[in-house]
Amino acid sequence: MNRTLKKFLRKPLNIISIVLIILIVILAIFPSRFTPHNPYSMDYDAFLEGPSLKHIFGTDQFGRDIFSRCLYGLQKSVIIAFSSILLASSIGTILGLIAGYYGGLWDLIIMRICDGFFAFPSLILALFIVALFGSNLLNLIIAIGVVYVPIFARTVRGAALSVRESLFVKASKVIGKSSLKIMFSDVLLNLSSVMIVTFTTNLSTAFLTEASLGFLGLSVPPPEPTLGGLVGQGTAFLISAPWIALFPGFVIAVVVLTLNILGDGLRDVLDPKNK
Amino acid sequence: MSFSYLLRRVITSVPTVFFVVFVVFIAIHLVPGDVVDMMLGTQNYLTQEQINQLYRQYGLDKPLIVQFGVWLKNLFTLDFGTSLRTGKKVIDLIFDRFPVTLELSILSMVFASAIGIPLGIVAAIKKDSFVDGLVRVVGLIGLSSPSFWVGAILIVIFSGTFKGFNIFGFVHIHEDFLRNLQVMFLPALTLGLMLAAQIMRMARSSMLDVLQQEYIRTAKAKGVSYSKLIGKHALKNALIPIVTLSGIQLGYLLAGTIVIENMFALPGLGRLLLQAVNERDYPVIQFVVMFIAMLIVILNILVDFIYTLIDPRVELK
Repeated sequence: MNRTLKKFLRKPLNIISIVLIILIVILAIFPSRFTPHNPYSMDYDAFLEGPSLKHIFGTDQFGRDIFSRCLYGLQKSVIIAFSSILLASSIGTILGLIAGYYGGLWDLIIMRICDGFFAFPSLILALFIVALFGSNLLNLIIAIGVVYVPIFARTVRGAALSVRESLFVKASKVIGKSSLKIMFSDVLLNLSSVMIVTFTTNLSTAFLTEASLGFLGLSVPPPEPTLGGLVGQGTAFLISAPWIALFPGFVIAVVVLTLNILGDGLRDVLDPKNK
Repeated sequence: MSFSYLLRRVITSVPTVFFVVFVVFIAIHLVPGDVVDMMLGTQNYLTQEQINQLYRQYGLDKPLIVQFGVWLKNLFTLDFGTSLRTGKKVIDLIFDRFPVTLELSILSMVFASAIGIPLGIVAAIKKDSFVDGLVRVVGLIGLSSPSFWVGAILIVIFSGTFKGFNIFGFVHIHEDFLRNLQVMFLPALTLGLMLAAQIMRMARSSMLDVLQQEYIRTAKAKGVSYSKLIGKHALKNALIPIVTLSGIQLGYLLAGTIVIENMFALPGLGRLLLQAVNERDYPVIQFVVMFIAMLIVILNILVDFIYTLIDPRVELK
């Protein structure tokens, strides 16, 4: 592990992505420490004002500070994306382990269901669930989570299939370990590098899915700011006040780019194919 | 031989199709309240007898399994029900809107291929050069940028530099061809750029893969000219995964059109879907979602089929 870490830190881009991730997490956990203004309060002297020292990202049509709204929106988006991938990876991993380790009928049923889910584009499935059950924080986490369950299930299944045939699993069987114990200790432990890479790359797409829902006005309802929602509201002012839409969009792109670089970097050092 | 493959592929898709139909059916029944509640809304002047009659009319008094049977029968007879808000037939609404989405998808695909494939191939041929680095960085940024942000930037740029350019104001293609193309240009470019990033990355890695093959070395050794080597020997094989990816991307494209259509006010399927979501018009939501899922199942079959046509080595199992 230590060698992998060294290899990972050899690339400057990877170090930058780690630093940015830490920064994003800190900003998302404590937005109030870094926001110069209250994200809901209206400044009656500054409607649709361009970026200045007082409002570095400018203000919207109600005189609200875009930078502050971005940080609070970032918090919501990070919570939703992270929780939904956490949910998807837990359920998906269990399903994938069952399908890959037991095989047979279990494998057939679980994989057929996954195929069915793959027929829905992720944004459309999430939108469908949110449209039916309403958009609050919990529903959004479930809606986006459901979309990513089949991806984890399929990845884990594929990896579990190959681990199942390896010598150490057979040895564990011989010494009388129960299937459950083998699955969760031996097999899962060997999948950890696959899991880390899948988690990171899907975190970035989940973040984009949430942002798209927000843009369509289907994420957490206003006045709560979400990054996608800020861009959506800003599109009406693209000609007169482009900063309303462009800065929150920039924040989304930076977060997703950071996650993608991190994912690529992790894949380079963790993927056995690259060794 | 290809035909029997196609047939088998169609048959193996039946469970997927059935699953999609089942999910869309059951999802509506998981929603608190039912169609009658939705229709009534806050109107409460109906008597219990009238409400019961509505239930009978929609078949909601029957057991769930019977309702599912009726739902299946309706699907086979292409009876998709009517919109709760406009009273129009859902199937008419879908066929009314679909051409716009289709046009947008095709134009975006053209942009994406025209930008993505050449750049990816050049990057692969000149691996580790400045061009390669640039292509990789731009590709990663493109992959990470939300489409609505790219669209917003393009709108700001275009409205600033080209004053007479019509960004909004959709007209159908049969009404005014040139104006239609003009209005479609920015949305298609936005979506095309998003896709180009992925196609570019795929084209690069696929070309790199092919260039390492032994037959390329053999061709080099026997003195095939460089342009012929790339153009004839390598490109053909490198294109195979790109075609597959483009096929898979069509599904992604359909999802992307939702965002873009709403951003540029284009009256396609995506706008219909969002409108239905905002008005809680459940029959429309159901069938648009199902329509898109079915389209993707069909597209996947077609992509697999085309795959066997361009690559005879693919085993027809």
